[in-house]
Amino acid sequence: MRCLMMVQGVEENAGMPTRAAFERMEAFNAEMEKAGVLLELTGLKPSSQGARVSFDETGRPTVTDGPFGETKELIGGFWIIEVQSLAEAVEWARRVPQGEGLPRRIEVRPYFEAEDFAYLQQQGSSAGTPNGIAEAQFDRLTASVKV
Amino acid sequence: MRCIIMGKATPDTEAGIMPTQEEMDEMGAFMGEMAKAGVLLDGAGLKPSSKSVRVTFDEAGKPTVTDGPFTETKELIAGYVIVEVKSLEEAVDWARRMPGKGARSADIRPFFEAEDFAYLQQQS
Repeated sequence: MRCLMMVQGVEENAGMPTRAAFERMEAFNAEMEKAGVLLELTGLKPSSQGARVSFDETGRPTVTDGPFGETKELIGGFWIIEVQSLAEAVEWARRVPQGEGLPRRIEVRPYFEAEDFAYLQQQGSSAGTPNGIAEAQFDRLTASVKV
Repeated sequence: MRCIIMGKATPDTEAGIMPTQEEMDEMGAFMGEMAKAGVLLDGAGLKPSSKSVRVTFDEAGKPTVTDGPFTETKELIAGYVIVEVKSLEEAVDWARRMPGKGARSADIRPFFEAEDFAYLQQQS
């Protein structure tokens, strides 16, 4: 199963990580990669460089520029991992390096998988699921992040 | 540049209400269009927070595991797409067209890229 492991609780204005913090995180990332669980990872720029689109009840979109106020809740980055169980994902999350400038909260969210959409086949049409389409793109994604 | 477009959770997604075939087809068509335009890198739906877990670290770095659901946050997400675009505006234009119903929102956040970490080479 795939899980999104999201970093939260990092002060947005804390600035870029020190080399020491970066290296501790890199060692952890390397360990996940070696274990064969790591599919993708990235850090996100502060919300001041992002935007938000809000749709009202009628579906009309309004665009708001960042920053967004809820700093402790904002997502600072994420890993996408492939694991056997949620418990295995939690074990990885418990081991995320701690210390100055490193994330204080990790949210682990399992993906819907193909079987979760099996009910749709009873409703007719077999157009690909969003996740199915994404699957085809996945090699391209992982290729693009290898530096 | 790469951006993640994060679709926020709604009462329906948190209640585990699955999309209808029509909603799924609409989303599939939209993702197909993004794929065809060469901007789509990945996309997925996430199970409700009731199926999820949080790990919170205290000052000493000791982890505490909390099972979902998480009700206190406006920042909970229900799915995402990752796009490769020329500008934030281009990502926003795609996000504005994201299918769905009712009041909802999506955050668009650019990725740090390798050059953002070039400063580390000056630190030893």
